[in-house]
Amino acid sequence: MKKAWQIACIVSIITGIIMLVSSFAYPYKDRLGPGPGFFPFWLSLIVIVLSLALFLQTTFSKAPPYGSGSPLPNQIGAKSILIILIAMAICTGLIEFLGFRISLFLFLFFLPFFLGARSLVINLIFALIGSFGVFHVFYYWLKVPLPMGILGL
Amino acid sequence: MEALQCWIQGFSVATLPINLLYAFIGCVLGTLIGVLPGLGPAAGTAILIPITFNLDPIGAIIMLAAIYYGAMYGGTITSVLVNVPGEAASVITCLDGYQMAKKGRAGPALGIAAIGSFIGGTFATFALMVVSLPLADFALKFGPPEVFALLVVGLSLVTGLSGRSILAALLMTLFGLMLAMIGMDPVRGAPRFTLGIPPLYDGVGFVPVVMGLFGVGEILLSMESPVVEVIKTKISDLFPKKEEWRVSAAAIGRGTLIGFFLGLIPGVGAIIPTFVAYVVEKKVSKHPEKFGTGVIEGVASPETANNSYANGAMIPLLTLGIPGSPTLAVLMGAFIIHGLTPGPFLFKERPDVVWGLIASFYLGNIILLILNLPLVGFWAKLLEIRYQYLYPGILLFCILGAYSLNQSIFDVGVMVVFGVLGYIFRKIDWPLAPTILALILGPMMERALRTSLEMSGGDLSILVTRPISAVLLIIAVIVLISPAIRLIGQKAGKD
Repeated sequence: MKKAWQIACIVSIITGIIMLVSSFAYPYKDRLGPGPGFFPFWLSLIVIVLSLALFLQTTFSKAPPYGSGSPLPNQIGAKSILIILIAMAICTGLIEFLGFRISLFLFLFFLPFFLGARSLVINLIFALIGSFGVFHVFYYWLKVPLPMGILGL
Repeated sequence: MEALQCWIQGFSVATLPINLLYAFIGCVLGTLIGVLPGLGPAAGTAILIPITFNLDPIGAIIMLAAIYYGAMYGGTITSVLVNVPGEAASVITCLDGYQMAKKGRAGPALGIAAIGSFIGGTFATFALMVVSLPLADFALKFGPPEVFALLVVGLSLVTGLSGRSILAALLMTLFGLMLAMIGMDPVRGAPRFTLGIPPLYDGVGFVPVVMGLFGVGEILLSMESPVVEVIKTKISDLFPKKEEWRVSAAAIGRGTLIGFFLGLIPGVGAIIPTFVAYVVEKKVSKHPEKFGTGVIEGVASPETANNSYANGAMIPLLTLGIPGSPTLAVLMGAFIIHGLTPGPFLFKERPDVVWGLIASFYLGNIILLILNLPLVGFWAKLLEIRYQYLYPGILLFCILGAYSLNQSIFDVGVMVVFGVLGYIFRKIDWPLAPTILALILGPMMERALRTSLEMSGGDLSILVTRPISAVLLIIAVIVLISPAIRLIGQKAGKD
């Protein structure tokens, strides 16, 4: 956990530095008072200072602020998390191209399958309700615009 | 007299059949969100915002608010039957609720939770009606320095009361403020930190961020131990025994007051009132050693505090425009999406919305009591849905909600990225609530600070020379340094 906190602090310091440097692109002051660069400048400066303080506390303090658990997922969790993230990435990539119904149908059919639900009939019913059924309710009844894709589906 | 007219107006709006229907739908959806593990009230409310796009603002807000306090009710069922809180505020209910269920007394545990929640919620709503008008009038006197100081207090409280490390919590607050910097400068209207990406000109949407951090992130975390075991018990005899009523009545009274008063403090969040109520109950009990073994007051008090808090926390949101928790931040966002800005001006500009909403809380509490007592068996059945279908189903609504907000695939991507971040932050135990509150309050805070400095010609002393802002800033400093003072005190005690 110590390493995870140290990494988080370093990422935070880097983010702060990037924002600090970027804030110079905006005027700090203008004719009326503080400009668009004023708030980001001070904010990023405070982020850098606090991240550094937390890094030092994490590294050297006798009473470390972090807990005892592991920051890494267990084996079952890691596999499932990866499956979900890949499924969401594919679905996000396809949704405008294939449309809501087709892409969500594929998402809802295959994701349960890869998570361990192997009944194809139940998966099919679940995917149909979740994609075509939900689309019908939101698009036609609730008038929420959803992508149709190249097939008009 | 003015208050009475407002109340009458509120009830005339809330009792319209269509608004009653919205309150009912909100209560059902909220209970569902509360019951299902892996979907908390913040993400649940955010996901359901698209449902309200084509509703009129009053109906939309009534429904979303009902989802919010409905989820508070629903979370109890999961805590009692599965020993997993359906939403974070029900954590403490697991201690005695689950033990009661193991002894075959799930019915009275759920019954007293529903009755306590009803009493707590109703009292807090009544107090909300009495307090909100004078408080909104007072808040109208606030200028930019006072608004800035108030926002600093809100963020300090949520920071000071979050997580194991004040520095980590502060960084999470600042992370939210940094995200809020992306998009149009709130004073001059110039684009900042947009990296040339057109969707970022409108800023990072808080709805995809909430769905990511609290929805997707929670599901990813749940995948590490996805199977939940529901206690096989017959849920009958929802009403407690005579002796249990006696101890529960006092516990409900204390829980109501604790929840309501903590709800008034922006940033406290929904978890703390339940813990305070539980600790107080244990302290005043004649048999504190029995807590954790299945005593009914260990369920009654925190559950009452939970709902009393939920309604009490509407006071800072409605009168000052400051959300006290991530779910209320989502609700505030929903107000804005529907063209309404919570705060003192809303009482003047749209009294129908404010008073209609407040009156709907009464009706919502009655609806929830009806939904919870006879239908508790039905809600418990939902816990048996296999996670392989439950989590993809929740993700479907996350994708739908994120996309439909701006018809933007970019927002879905933002949600996925923040889902991963939410998972990482949970794993390393950095609090998420400060980020959400800072994201939504950031533009207001920057605007208030810069306008204050414009007023004073760049002199920062304007923040400390005006009495209200000075007092508020002192409170913020005390909140932020109190962990350090406590630490020094503990060390001195040891020495």
